[in-house]
Amino acid sequence: MMRRRMWIQRGSTAVGLTWLAFLLLPLLSLAASTSWRSFALAAGDVSALETSVIYTAFAMLAVVAFGTPLAFALARRRLRAQRLVEALLMIPLLTPPLALGILLTALYGPYGWLGGWLNQWGVSLTNTGPAFVLAQVYASAPYYVVGARAAFEAVPTDLEQIARTLGDSPGRVFRRVTLPLSLLGLGAALSIAWVRALGEFGVVLIMAYFPQGIPVKLWVNLQDYGLSSVYPLLWVFFLVGLPLPLLLGLLARQRTARRPLAPTAAF
Amino acid sequence: MPELAVDYRIGWPLALSARLTIRGLTALVGPSGAGKTTLLRALCGLVPASGQPFAGLAPERRRVGFLPQHYALFPHLSALDNVAYPLRGADRRERAQALLERVRMGPFGARPPQTLSGGQCQRVALARALAREPDLLLLDEPASALEPALRDALFDELAELIHELGLPALVATHDPHLAQQCDWMAVLDRGRVVQQQTPAQVFSQPRTLPLARLLGFRNLFGGSLEARAGEFVLSTGAGMLRVVPDSRHWRPGPVQWGIRSDEIQVLPESFPAHRVPADNVLAVRVRQLRHQGLTLRAQVTGDMAFELLLPRHVQDGLGLAVGQRVRIHLPPAYLRLFPQESDA
Repeated sequence: MMRRRMWIQRGSTAVGLTWLAFLLLPLLSLAASTSWRSFALAAGDVSALETSVIYTAFAMLAVVAFGTPLAFALARRRLRAQRLVEALLMIPLLTPPLALGILLTALYGPYGWLGGWLNQWGVSLTNTGPAFVLAQVYASAPYYVVGARAAFEAVPTDLEQIARTLGDSPGRVFRRVTLPLSLLGLGAALSIAWVRALGEFGVVLIMAYFPQGIPVKLWVNLQDYGLSSVYPLLWVFFLVGLPLPLLLGLLARQRTARRPLAPTAAF
Repeated sequence: MPELAVDYRIGWPLALSARLTIRGLTALVGPSGAGKTTLLRALCGLVPASGQPFAGLAPERRRVGFLPQHYALFPHLSALDNVAYPLRGADRRERAQALLERVRMGPFGARPPQTLSGGQCQRVALARALAREPDLLLLDEPASALEPALRDALFDELAELIHELGLPALVATHDPHLAQQCDWMAVLDRGRVVQQQTPAQVFSQPRTLPLARLLGFRNLFGGSLEARAGEFVLSTGAGMLRVVPDSRHWRPGPVQWGIRSDEIQVLPESFPAHRVPADNVLAVRVRQLRHQGLTLRAQVTGDMAFELLLPRHVQDGLGLAVGQRVRIHLPPAYLRLFPQESDA
C-alpha cells in the first residue's frame, strides 16, 4: 500500500514537472532567441505601451465600479432572475473576440443606432480612446465579476450579520468586514481582468485599431518587420502584464495557508 | 433578578409564536428544529418578526449582544480589535482592553482569534457583545463548540459573569444538563413556548411528551386515567397504578404516562414484607445490565418493560444479576402524566 502510494506520488510529480516545462518552454525559447545585445524597441512601441497601460487602467476603473456591486449582489442576494443574469454575464466571455468586436461595432460604430446618436453629441466610439476602453471593458468585465463574486461568497455571512448586531449599517459592514476579507480575492479577480484587458486583441482590433495598444502594435510589427523584431515589445508586454497577477496569486496562497478562510477562489 | 418580557411572532423560516419572560440567565430549550436559533436571530433583527421588544428596529439599532454558535469573531482583526469593533471614539482601544480584562482575557488582546481556544474565543465574543452595552444577551448553543470536559466549568464561569453584569440573558441549548445551571427555563416546541418555570420544576414536571423525552424520560407509555373513590388510578399493561395528578388539570380518559429511570425503586427479596408499599409494586425479571459511568442501567421486563438507572451505592447493596426476579416500586408521586398527542 505504502509502495503504491509512493509510486502515485512520484508519477504525479513527474507529470507535473513535464507540464510545467511544457508551459515554460515557449518563454525559455523566447529568452534564447532574443538578441539581447541589440535589444531595442521599434518606432511607436513606447506610445503603444503608454496607450495600453493608461487605457487599461481606465477600463479597470470602470470594471471595478460597475462589476463590484453586481458581483456582491450575485453573491449575497437571490435575485429573481439569478440564473438568467449569470448566463447573460457569460455571453461576452463565450463569444469569440472577433465576433464580439463586430457585435460592438454594429452597435457603437458610426452606423449603429447608439453610435450614430452618440456621434451627434461629438462622441465617437470608433478608433478613439473611449472605444479602446469600451472594447476592453466588454472583454474583461466578466472575468472580474466571476472572480469577485467567488471572493464575496467566501466571506461567511455570519460575520456580516454579527457586524450588524454590533451597530453597523450595511454600508459600514461592507467597508469594515466584507471588503477586508475579500480584498485578496478581489485583487486576484482584478489582476485576471487586467491581463485579459491588456492582452485583448480581437475586440480591440475591430473597434479601435487606433490608438494602437501593445497587442495590435505587435501584430503590425510582426507584419512589417518580421518575427524576431517583435521580441523586445513582447518582453515589455510580459513585464507589464504578468507581475500583478503572479504576485497576487502568491499572496493569496500564503494567506490561505495561514488561515482557513479563503476569499481567493479566482486562483 | 433582571427581567425582560418577549412576545414575538415569526413567519419565516418557520412559523413561531413565542411569549416568554427572560429572568436572569434563562435557558431556551427544545428539540432541534423547534426554532431556538430562529427566535434568537429574530431578537437580533436578523430574521423578520413582529412583536416586543425592539419591534421593527434594524439590527444595528437594537441593544442586543449576540454570541452565535461559533462566536463569529472577525478573522482579520486581533482579539482586542474584535472587542473594539462596536466602540467609537479615541479611547475605544482602552475601553476594549478593559472589557477584555473583565472577561479575564487581558493578556490575549494582540492574538488573532484563530490562535485562541474555544473557551477563549467565547470570552472574547462576550466582551465584544458587552462593548455594545446591550440590554439583552443572546447566546446560541454556547457549549456546543467546547470540549465536553471543559464545558461545565466554562459555562459556570460564563453564568457567573452574566450574573455579575446583571443582564437578562437567553441561552438557546439542546443540552438539558446546561439548562439545569440556569435561573429560569423556557421550552419551545412546535412553534410555541409550552412551559416556562425554574429548571427544577421543568425537569420534574415536563408538560409535554417530546419535552419529557428531551429531558431524559426513558419510560413512557400509553394508558387510561380513571377516577375511583375520589382518587385517580392509571389503567396500564401492568394493571392499575395509583397516581396523584393535579386534579384541576386532569379528567378521566386516555393519557400518556412515564417515570424517570432514576426514580424507580428496586425492592430485593430480602425487603421486609411489612415495608413493601401497598400500591404500584410490579414483579419483573432483570433482562440486561449495562454500566454507564458510575451508574448501572438495568432493563427489566414483566407485564411491561422498564429501564432503571441505579447509582453505584444502590447496586452495591442490591447485587443485581441478569435473570434475577425482583419487585420494583413506581412511587405515585413520581408518575408523570402527559396529554395524549397525535405524534406520541
